Amino acid sequence: MFGYHGKLLRIDLTTQRTTWDPLDADVLQRFLGGVGLGTYLLYTYCPPGIEPFDPANPLIFVGSPLVGTRLTTSSKFAVLTKSPLTGCIGDALSSSFLATELKKTGCDALLVTGKSPFPCLLVLQDGVAAFLDATPYLGLSTTETEHEIKVRLGRQTRVACIGPAGERLVRYASITNDGGRQAARTGPGAVMGSKNLKAIAVHGTHTVPVFAADALQTIGTSLTQRSLGPATEKYRTLGTLANTAVFNRLGTLPTHNFQRSTFDSTEQVSGETFHQRHFVTNAHCANCTIGCEHILTTIDSGPKAQGRLEYESAFALGSLVGVADANTVIRAATLCDELGMDTISAGGTIAWAMECFEKGLLTAADTNGLVLRFGNAEALLECLKLIGARHGIGDLLAEGSHRAAQRLGHGTAAWAMHVKGLEMPGYEPRSLKTMALGLAVSTRGACHNRSSAYEADFSSRVDRLRAEAERGRLTMEGEDFSAVLDSLIWCKFLRKAFTDFYAESAAIYTHVTGWPMTAAALQQAGERINTLKKLFNIREGWRQEDDTLPPRVLTETLPTGMVQGIGLSKVDLDMMIQGYYHARGWTTEGLIPEQKLHDLALLDLVQRFD
Amino acid sequence: MSMMQRHNKASAGVRVRVELFGMARLVCGCPALELQLHDDTTLADVARALAIACPALRGVALTTEGTGLLESYTVNLNGHTFVTETGVHLQPGDTLLLFSSQAGG
Repeated sequence: MFGYHGKLLRIDLTTQRTTWDPLDADVLQRFLGGVGLGTYLLYTYCPPGIEPFDPANPLIFVGSPLVGTRLTTSSKFAVLTKSPLTGCIGDALSSSFLATELKKTGCDALLVTGKSPFPCLLVLQDGVAAFLDATPYLGLSTTETEHEIKVRLGRQTRVACIGPAGERLVRYASITNDGGRQAARTGPGAVMGSKNLKAIAVHGTHTVPVFAADALQTIGTSLTQRSLGPATEKYRTLGTLANTAVFNRLGTLPTHNFQRSTFDSTEQVSGETFHQRHFVTNAHCANCTIGCEHILTTIDSGPKAQGRLEYESAFALGSLVGVADANTVIRAATLCDELGMDTISAGGTIAWAMECFEKGLLTAADTNGLVLRFGNAEALLECLKLIGARHGIGDLLAEGSHRAAQRLGHGTAAWAMHVKGLEMPGYEPRSLKTMALGLAVSTRGACHNRSSAYEADFSSRVDRLRAEAERGRLTMEGEDFSAVLDSLIWCKFLRKAFTDFYAESAAIYTHVTGWPMTAAALQQAGERINTLKKLFNIREGWRQEDDTLPPRVLTETLPTGMVQGIGLSKVDLDMMIQGYYHARGWTTEGLIPEQKLHDLALLDLVQRFD
Repeated sequence: MSMMQRHNKASAGVRVRVELFGMARLVCGCPALELQLHDDTTLADVARALAIACPALRGVALTTEGTGLLESYTVNLNGHTFVTETGVHLQPGDTLLLFSSQAGG
């Protein structure tokens, strides 16, 4: 076999039993790798209806056929599990050396179930598993954990670990690898913590041959050249932080818990300001020629903090919570990384709490004395620490905004800004109507990345302020594109470097695996993967009313900026959702007809496991 | 009526504000410029005017010749519509936004 090992490594932490299962060519071709193959494995191995913290919930690490090649941005992996935040499919991507090392250990995917009877460091050496006592690492930050394990096992070892947040089952805890890369959204770190698994250390020597090395090198060289061109200019210069000032100007920058979409102090936390005052250097993932990581440092007299900062972290720990101090934003993002938790959900949940405080539904007696008002930078940092420790108010906020609002009551769910339990990213849906639809129907919850629906809104293709049924087709196309991107796995920042994404990716797939692949077949694989994600959610209890947006979005108009007075009615959202279901060939209730399952070669799978 | 004919008809033109974002702002050293443009303006017209007003934009947001926009940048009118090759009609008080064409994250 070329490109793949054709093997799944299953490890049961309860029994310490290791099992190798074959992965057939048919499965690999239909689901590719990454998120696609992970979805297949989750559907296959996750017992229906279990709680996310049930030991039987699989935690799945999946590589791709491109991992181990020299293709730019190809060193990536996906983590899948049943999300403790949403109860739906949880998938997150991360990058760098861990991906290649996982593949070198001899498997295409690693599936962990069970619960270790002791705090565990799982060591994989060429596919052989050892279960070491991780007690010495408990309570350590992610950086400290990785460092200590590398000191013990050698620098060549690659580590995936959780921080204190994962140990304490913060529902949006991340898994960290390679010095700060995070698989964070939907909370896979909490599932890892529930398994008493502090870290996985990997080292291997296996290689996987590619089918047509010369042809692959030719197209790979071309892709590398394009990765250095205009298609990635933003990521190489200011990075995603360049969004902040533009989004503010366009009225799409979520501010004060989505109460408005412009932030008066944007300049103080804009990408331009970070670049001029805080920039240290650019960094790369393994095998990447783009170098999108912008390492920033604090420059005030407070505790030194230095790390990468992306727009999503900067918005969630900046405008969303009203914090206009760039040093605090860097400090808060770094703190989230060290504690091991998703910056978007952390910021989103604190923003909900700030609004509760300002409306008198939380008081200082509830918040460990913190004056949890928008803009209070010190309170933000203290609150993050409390969440990581699940101490005081942190215990409530560790549950995420949806559960916290349910617990607090008093109508606070009206401003819990989530979809299916996942906190909203930094795109105001009222002034980005295609994105609004993408957020509402995403199987992952309020996710911008699994549809990239905002791309249509930021183009001449649509009027971003107007709702139309046609947005359903655009959202579907974006989802299928993203599913292929996330399954092969390419970096999202490379997506515009392709001349013809499906055709080039199909050619590359064939060069790597030797299996025929066409652009049309690849596009259908995207549809198949998204359909199976939806099938998983349906099996786990999805209801049509889950495809929606927070009440605030559907009842309040935007009060400031060039989008003042713009809103999104439930009627318009429902019209777009019906457009989406129709484009997908689903029923008006959002269910998948049997013929569609047949067309996508999913019927057997569904019948086998339902 | 062709764009050239419209240009010929528009004698005085309009003064518009161009707001700069990303590296364009950093190399210009200011957040905005004022430009005099034909009231029927194409993307190339905007690029040529920007190249004169701020030569540092050449090679950053504009081609080195200053006759067009680089693929990595786009121009938006008043936050609503994108200026295309075929042109756009400008009104006094309009604002053009120059920012990265790579949307989002």
